[in-house]
Order: sequence, then C-alpha cells, then structure tokens
Amino acid sequence: MATVIVDNREVELPEGVQLNCIQAAALAGVEIPHYCFHPGLSVVGSCRMCLVEIGKRDPQTGHITMFPKLQPACNTPAADGTVIVTQSEKVQQARAMVEEDLLLRHPIDCPICDKAGECRLQDYHFRYGQKERRAEILPFHSRRRDLGDVFLFVDRCVMCTRCVRFVREVAGTGELLVLARGAHEEIAVLPGYPLNNKLSGNVVDLCPVGALADKDFLYKQRVWFLRSHRSVCPHCAAGCSIWIDENQDHLWRIRPRENPHVNRWWICNDGRYGYHQVHDRRRLLGARRRTADGWEELDWAQAPLVVREALERAGRLAAVLSPFLTVEEAYLLALLVRRIDPEALLGLGPVPRMGQDERFPGGFTISAEKCPNRRGVEAVLSYFMKGRVLQFDELLGQLGPQGVRGLWITGGYKAPTPPVSHVLDQAIADRLEGLDLVIVQDLFPSPVAERAHYVLPGAAWAERDGAYVNCQDRLQSFRRAIRPPRGVLPEGWLLWQMHQRAGQFDAAAVLDEMAQQITYFAPAVYEIPEVGLDLKAGLLAATTAKTASELKG
Amino acid sequence: MMEKVLTEGICKQIEACYPKYPTREAVILPALHLIQEAIGHVPPKAVEELAHLLGVPPARVQDTLSFYGFFAQDEPVGRTRIWVCRSLSCGARGGEELLEYLCQRLGVQPGQTTPDGRITLEVAECIGACDYAPAILAGRVLWKNMTKEKIDQMLETLP
Amino acid sequence: MPTFEPVLLANVGKPDSHTLKVYEAAGGYQTLRRVLQEMAPKEVVDRIRASQLRGRGGAGFPTGLKWSFLPKDDPGPIYLCANADESEPGTFCNRVQMEHDPHQILEGIILACYATGASAAYIYLRYEYPLAYERLQQAVEECYRAGYLGRNILGSDMSLDIYIHRGAGAYICGEETGLIESIEGHRAWPRTKPPFPAVKGLFQRPTVVNNVETLACVKHILERGIEWFQSIGTPPDPSDPRDPGSFGPKVFSISGHVNRPGCVELPLGVPVRELIEQHAGGVWKGRKVKAVVPGGLSTGVLSAHELDTPLDFSGPCKAGCLGLGTGGVIVLDETYSMVDFLHNSCRFFAHESCGQCTPCREGTAWAYRIMQRIKAGRGRLVDLDLLEEIGNSIGIIPGSTICGLADGAAWPIKTTLAKFRDELEDYIRRTNPLGCRNPAPVEALPEWREHQSITGRKLLGAEATI
Repeated sequence: MATVIVDNREVELPEGVQLNCIQAAALAGVEIPHYCFHPGLSVVGSCRMCLVEIGKRDPQTGHITMFPKLQPACNTPAADGTVIVTQSEKVQQARAMVEEDLLLRHPIDCPICDKAGECRLQDYHFRYGQKERRAEILPFHSRRRDLGDVFLFVDRCVMCTRCVRFVREVAGTGELLVLARGAHEEIAVLPGYPLNNKLSGNVVDLCPVGALADKDFLYKQRVWFLRSHRSVCPHCAAGCSIWIDENQDHLWRIRPRENPHVNRWWICNDGRYGYHQVHDRRRLLGARRRTADGWEELDWAQAPLVVREALERAGRLAAVLSPFLTVEEAYLLALLVRRIDPEALLGLGPVPRMGQDERFPGGFTISAEKCPNRRGVEAVLSYFMKGRVLQFDELLGQLGPQGVRGLWITGGYKAPTPPVSHVLDQAIADRLEGLDLVIVQDLFPSPVAERAHYVLPGAAWAERDGAYVNCQDRLQSFRRAIRPPRGVLPEGWLLWQMHQRAGQFDAAAVLDEMAQQITYFAPAVYEIPEVGLDLKAGLLAATTAKTASELKG
Repeated sequence: MMEKVLTEGICKQIEACYPKYPTREAVILPALHLIQEAIGHVPPKAVEELAHLLGVPPARVQDTLSFYGFFAQDEPVGRTRIWVCRSLSCGARGGEELLEYLCQRLGVQPGQTTPDGRITLEVAECIGACDYAPAILAGRVLWKNMTKEKIDQMLETLP
Repeated sequence: MPTFEPVLLANVGKPDSHTLKVYEAAGGYQTLRRVLQEMAPKEVVDRIRASQLRGRGGAGFPTGLKWSFLPKDDPGPIYLCANADESEPGTFCNRVQMEHDPHQILEGIILACYATGASAAYIYLRYEYPLAYERLQQAVEECYRAGYLGRNILGSDMSLDIYIHRGAGAYICGEETGLIESIEGHRAWPRTKPPFPAVKGLFQRPTVVNNVETLACVKHILERGIEWFQSIGTPPDPSDPRDPGSFGPKVFSISGHVNRPGCVELPLGVPVRELIEQHAGGVWKGRKVKAVVPGGLSTGVLSAHELDTPLDFSGPCKAGCLGLGTGGVIVLDETYSMVDFLHNSCRFFAHESCGQCTPCREGTAWAYRIMQRIKAGRGRLVDLDLLEEIGNSIGIIPGSTICGLADGAAWPIKTTLAKFRDELEDYIRRTNPLGCRNPAPVEALPEWREHQSITGRKLLGAEATI
C-alpha cells in the first residue's frame, strides 16, 4: 500500500488513481491553498499558491531527502514515500508573498463583491496573508466587463486562467482569452464573439475570486445567508448532482455538486437557471374539484379521503406515472391505484425529448430526454405490469366506454412557454372526453387540468423528498430544500396519507420497501451514498445470483 | 457582404505555411506576420477571418496576437516603423535621450503614428544590436551608433 | 596555453561568408558527410556527451545529457528547436553568427538532428533580426538545392526539413517551453515541468531545444574531436564534484561603455578584465569601470573589484552573479548611476514577464514601480529592503516560478543591492532627505503606451463600473 507523509502524518493512497500532492494532503485533512489547480482542468502550476516542501522517503532506510526548492503541489504526483511539508516557515513565507502580490492591484471591494464569504482570496489572505499592506499603490476602480453569459470584474481577477482552460478543454467553445502580457493581462472575449455556450455558468463556480459573476445571481444575496442542500437536477435524464442554495424557502442559486459518476464538476445552464420555474407565478395552488357550478376549493385535509372515494366509485382505473415523479411517489401511486382496482392500467407519462444528446469535448453530456426519472418510473411500471411498460399513447388508446373510466394523471412538466404549450396539451385533453373521473396532479395549468374533475397541485423537485434514476441507471436520493408554497401538497405526502400510513411521508421507508419488493431497486436496501447508487451493477449481480441458484437447483 | 480584409493573395501565402506545421494553430503566428506585413495591422476582422481560415476559435488568435508586442490592432502602422532600443546597452549610451528627441521631432508618443501616416514610433527592449548602441531599427534597416544628427539624417531618408 | 584559434567566428569578415560557396570552400559540410558515413547516431550523442559541451544559451545544461533524455525507440516524429530568440539585453553573439555564418549553424542543426533522430527542425528566430532571417533563409534554400536538406541527405537514410519560425517581440520565447508554446501558435507561457520537452515537447512530441551557438559547437566537436574541445576552457573544479567544467570556445559580446563594442570568440574562463582591456579597447573616454554585467542583464552585476572573475560557467556565480548567462558583457563606467541601471533592468523584466506566475507577474511590476518612485526622488530607505525581499523571493531558484525569467529579474536587484547599496541609499537620501512617505500613491500600472495601442484593449470599448 502506497503511503505519503503529510506534515508528519502517514496517509494511505487509494489504489488505481493518480493523485497530486494537493489531493493527497486533502486525504490527510490538510488544506494546501490553491487558485489555478482544478481536478477537471489541465495543470498549469501558475498561481504558485500551492508551493510546499516536498521530499522522498527511502523505502529501505526510511531516510528522508527534501528537495531544496519549494515545489508546486499541483504538479507533483503523490507516490509511495512522498513527503509533504505544508507548515514550514518557507512555505508560509511563499504563501504570504503570493497573497501580497495578488492584492497589489486588487480593488479590495469585498463589501460589494458577490464572492465575499466564499472567496479564496479572502479566505487565504485571512489564513496565510500578512497583516500589513506595504505597497503604496493606488488600487484600480473595479471595472466590469460584459463577456456574454457572465460579467467579468476585470480588476478582481487573479489570472488563474481556470475559465479560459474550461472553455477550451471542457466546453470546447474557446470564447475566452487572455489579453496582453505580464501585469497588463486581462481576461476578455473578442468583440462579436461573446461567451455563449451551454456550460458557461461553470466558469463562475470555477472562479476562485469575485472576477466572474453570474448575471442571474449578481447582487441578489449575500452568500452567508444561503443554505446549501444536496439535490439532483431534474432538467434532463443525465441527473446531475447539484447544490441548491436557498434562503427562507426561496431558491437563489444552483451549483454543481461533484460526482465522478455523473456530472463530475459541471452542470449545464439549463439546470443552473431552470430553477426559476419553482417560483413561477403561474403555478397551480390550492386543490379543487369540479362541480356542476364550476370549480370548488378542496380542503387539503379532506382531499385524501375525497379523492380516494372518487377513485373507488369510478370503476376501471388507470394511472399515468410521470417521469418527473420520484421512484417512491411512482411506487405509492401505482400501489394505491392497484389496491383500489387490482386490474388498473398503469402507463408512463409523456417523455419530453429535445433534439439529440449534446456531448462536450470534456465528456459532459446533456441528455435529449428532458425529464429526470424515466428509468425509475419504468422500473416501477414494469414491476406492477408484469414486465410491461405501457407508453402514454397506448394507455390513451385503452380509454373509452368499455375500458378505463377513471384516470389519474401526474405531471411536473415545464411551464408552457408560448408558442410551446404544456406537454399535457389540448389534443390529450380531447381524448379524455367522456371519462367519469380525471385527476390531475401537476405544477402548472394545462388543457388537461382544465378538463379534470380534480386538480391537485404538485410540488417542484426542490420541494420533494425521494430519488431519481438517471439514464445510466444511477439512483440518487435527495431531500427537499425548501417548503412548497401554500396550497401545494407534495405528491408523496398526499399518497402517503391516501395509503393511511402513520406519520409524515418517509421516502426512505418507501424506498426500503421497494428494495425488498422490486429486484431493480434491491441495491437500495443499503444507505444511498451522496454520489448515488448504480442499480445496473446491482441488477447484474442479482441476475448472476439467480442464474447461479438456478444452475445449482 | 462586406469586403474581406484577407485578400486572396494573403490567404494563399498563409496556406503556403500549412506544410511547415502539423497543426493549424501553429500557423497563427506566421499568418499574423503576413497580415501585419500586408496591411500594416491586424484588425479584429482579420482575426476573425484568419480564425475562420485556420479553423480555430477567434479568441485563440486574439490571445496569441495580444501576447506579442509586435502586432498593431487599432490602426495600421506608418510606412516605416521605428524601434528605438532603450535596454541597458543602448540606454546607457543615450538611447532614452534619442527616444525623447524622436518624440519631439515627430510630435508623437511611443506607440503612435505621425498624422501623415509616415512613421510609427515604438520603443523596443533590446534589439540585439548592443555593439552599435544606441541603435534604432527602422523597418528592416538597422541604424547604428545613433546621434541626434544621425536621426535627422535617418528621418530624411525614410519614405 | 597554446594560441587560441577561433572557430565559431572564423568565417566572420570574409567576403560573402554567408554563402554556401564560401562555407564549402572552408571545408563546410565535410563533417556532415563524414559523420553520415562513419558514425551511428548513438555514437554522435556519446561523443557530444563525452565532450561535456554545455548549452550556450544561458543555463549551461550539458547538451549530450539533454539529448540522452529522449525516449529510446520512439516511433517519431521527434523535433529539434534551434533557439535563436536571443533577446537578453547585452547579447548579440547569435546575431553575428547567423548573419555571417549561417551555414555553420545549419550544419550543426543537421548533425544534431542526425544524433537525436529529429525529422524536423524549427529555428526560432526573433523578429528583430531581419538580416539574419534573410541570410538563414537563403542558406536553407541553398542546402535544399545542394542536398544537405530534404529527403535522403547525401544519399543516407536521413531526411530532414528545417523551418524558420519568427517571433514577435517577446523575451520569454527564449525559454525552451515558452519557445515551444510560441511555435504551437499560443501565447508563450512556459510550461510547468515535468513533463520535460524531451518527453513531451513541441506538438506533444519528444523535443530537443538547443541554442544555435551550442549547435555550432556540435559541428566543431565532431570535426575536431573531444581532445581539441577539452583543451580549451576551464577544467572541472576538483573540489566540486558536481562541476562538469567549462570546456570549449565561447562567443562573448561586449557592449556598453567600451571603446570597441563587438563580438569576440575566446576560451571559456577568460577574465572580465582581459576581455575589456584587450578585446574591447578598454573603457571609453578614459574612464574607470563601475560595474560589469557578466552575461546578459539577468546575471546581475560585478563590481569594479571583481574584474578578475573568469567568464566560465561557475566564475560569475562565485562573485554572486546568476552565472555565465549568454556571454553578453555590458560595461558601465564610473559616471553611470546604479539607480538608472536598476530602473532600466526592472523595466525590462516587468515588460517581459509573461504574466503567468503570480510572483513574477506582480513582483517584477512592483519592483519597477518602486524603482520609478526612487528614480523620481520619492524613494525611502525601506524601499530597498522591500526590493531585496522581492529579489530574494521570486524565481525558479527559490522555486516560486515556473521558469527562470524571474531569476533574471531578481539577480540584478540582488547584486546591485549587495554591491551598490551605498549608492542607492545616497541617492535616496539626496532626493528625499526627509524620507517622506509619498503622499500620492503610484498608479497601479505604469503607463505603457506601446501596450495600449497594440493589445486591442480599445476594442473592448468603455466599461461599466460595478
């Protein structure tokens, strides 16, 4: 087992990955400050903040030889016997020098800087900088430059070039450039060629200081008022891991959450800025039912009972499980409908698709499938429908006088953006003509909701608990980040109550139950790691075990 | 359709550089020289057209261009570009005074072109002619052991 | 010591010395012919290694050793870059050689390519040498016509193309990985090492970068043998096991306050005094020496007491300088102010810092601003401490930067402060007798008008604040 020695502590290196000294030290809980290094980008070693003393321990004698010069930890691979010293006077002096240098021409406009509170320049200066400012230099004004998708505060930049490397290496679009030379360098774009690509928002996260600012977030919130919640992006089937930053039930910012199996360090702009629909004014609020005189409000406290009775009266039932439901919600709904009508039809809701998958040179992919959980819902459907996944159109075809009389449609689709209508459009609504019972559970008004007998406003993803399965069969659980607005009862909560289960909706308990019942979800019997769980691997193991037992039998 | 900055002739010359390098990016620098030579500067439009020709992002070309002190961008340089060396060997033998003198004579600051478009004055860091210090590079001609009198002489001979 | 016979500059001064005809008449390309017939590439590498030839570009790295770092059995292509981006203030050795004897350099390049297996060579030539460009280009064309370049050179298996790549006014392109980046069409930001160019260099391929004078020496070693080469110069210091010695001839360029500035070829180890008095006609106007830059601005300065320093790879180091550098000797007379010297030096390095590493980008610019203030009569004595601290902390030797440019910036600061601090203090006391702190701080960046006009910053238009 390879070990490195970080500040006199031995740490074992994981096998099969090549770590540099910054990463190896992090394993030992030692922070080596750095600006330009990022694990997702090429190593340039230019900020010089990560300078440390490096040595080598002789495996035979145990004798340690130190390199005479400071070395950049980012470009030094951690190998067996590597010695890293991060606290020596030499290292501290070097850090203090870099910090002093970086503040020579910095406007130090922290009070009005968006990055304040999560700025490396601030944090490192606090920890490693000098007390006194020795330069008699007039600071710049803080110039702001519009780069296209983001703003650049020119004079706050520390020239780490992370953003430039990102657009060249990961996005492959290469809009950003370094202008001039030496102390005159600035980040810029060529006029007429603004920063404009689907991954551009990542440069703001990458910026270690307040130079690059998100136009969406700028001057909206002080970051220390934000709380971050782990979540999963619902905007396409890739299911990127994200952080939701909220303050008092209002989402302000979505950031990528590192997940080596899914999105690595990035998310696309659709996911980053798509959160606005959570606070869209057009959202459905308040449960209601149709009477002879029109709509009548339905008290959420009575809704479980009323809706259940309506279902029981309706006769042959069908339910449409939307690919926006969590697996737990899909399971509870399918279970409920089947309890009331054991012959009930279960089908998959419309799966929104747009164009082709978009692949970027750095490996990042935006899926053409614009929903988070088709795979998960299909697995639930397959369980209840004996291996069959009824598509939405097929299910609609079975409506009619002889067939289904009562239908529960779940949604969660995007708000209509004229001229594009809601996915549950007029044509679908027309086909529901003549049904005795139509229940619509959705985020936004739609022609289908207009046609319904019951409209039950549903929750946005940030308001739900549960799990999604992405297009790679990776199951990721998340907890709600904010409370839903008044007048909304999350799908899971309603279904939980309709099942007359005790207490509050408990997604983990439902998933546990599913893991017992459904082979596909069997691996979820254990705790779900933050990076999610690969169900495909579990499925493979289960199939192998089955085959083995069959062979034995 | 706006007229192209890179004429067919320039493009041909640029394309002639392709066999020298395994990548198109490497042609950027020789191409910039060809453009600077032909039209006296490399305006943003030329950057775009070059990038298009080479199949690289325009920002890449601009990035490279702006690093080197050589390429003019805002306006074409004068008929002759005068580089006055002010590094140590020349500076110690009067290079800085010559620069001041030239600024006065021409009425321009370093980096500027005379209003008649004749001369662009530039300062240079060591032009490697320390044996002839103070030296001035006027276009392709090296003027050696300069004095104020010789500057007057030089200015007369320039087109 | 036997009388010294110059070889590197032997053809300089002959009429039409730059033509193939004259070069061949003096026995040119005979060595190439012989080596191609008689020696295997590995033998050439071994011979250069055994000769202990050290790079003439500034760092003095053993050339044969550098070649031997190339991966064995590489399927190719391998590249050779001939560094002719001579931009070090006070240095013009390569210019003289390229203008007067380009074929000598080309022969050296072809031989080096034979030894290393390189299939293409790029000569990185600075733009400020139009005559050298013209002559090199002519020489390359002559070589193609004469069969010294192209496919199956002189009937052998060897094929080689030489391309001349012109720089555009950036000192940093003389750093080997900066040079590589520049050929690749990027800004010349030196690469962090490892990987070294021998493993992953130009176009991600194994690459050797050698100075053109080094390559010329290769030719002469193969022509005249190791004994000849090692009979010239300074043998290794027996008390220092790591000193490989300083063998061979070296072209020195002498400029500044001397009567006869110019290039002269001498054995390594020639004392500074001899160089000034016997080969440069002494200090001008009958004055005395105040300071001497021994090998290009970045090496720092020698004081008048250190004129017996031998100019070999270790001599200037012992006198506190960075090293032999490029062999560009600049003499400063007793009337020249060291404030002006340091101001000039700091301006140069601030202007030429590539801006990649923080300590160099900010440190060189800061040092320049301090020197501007001192020169303008607003300096304080504490500024000298600050300068010294900058000088001690930036560079590849303390490890705070990727390349050696910052060392070049640091050494003039350090050596001036070590040897001429009194003069600087006097100046400050004289110009700012009360030691007043400057009431108006200096602008964040000095006005570099020349930069304003060229970088296209105007194009970006007016900018909003906040």
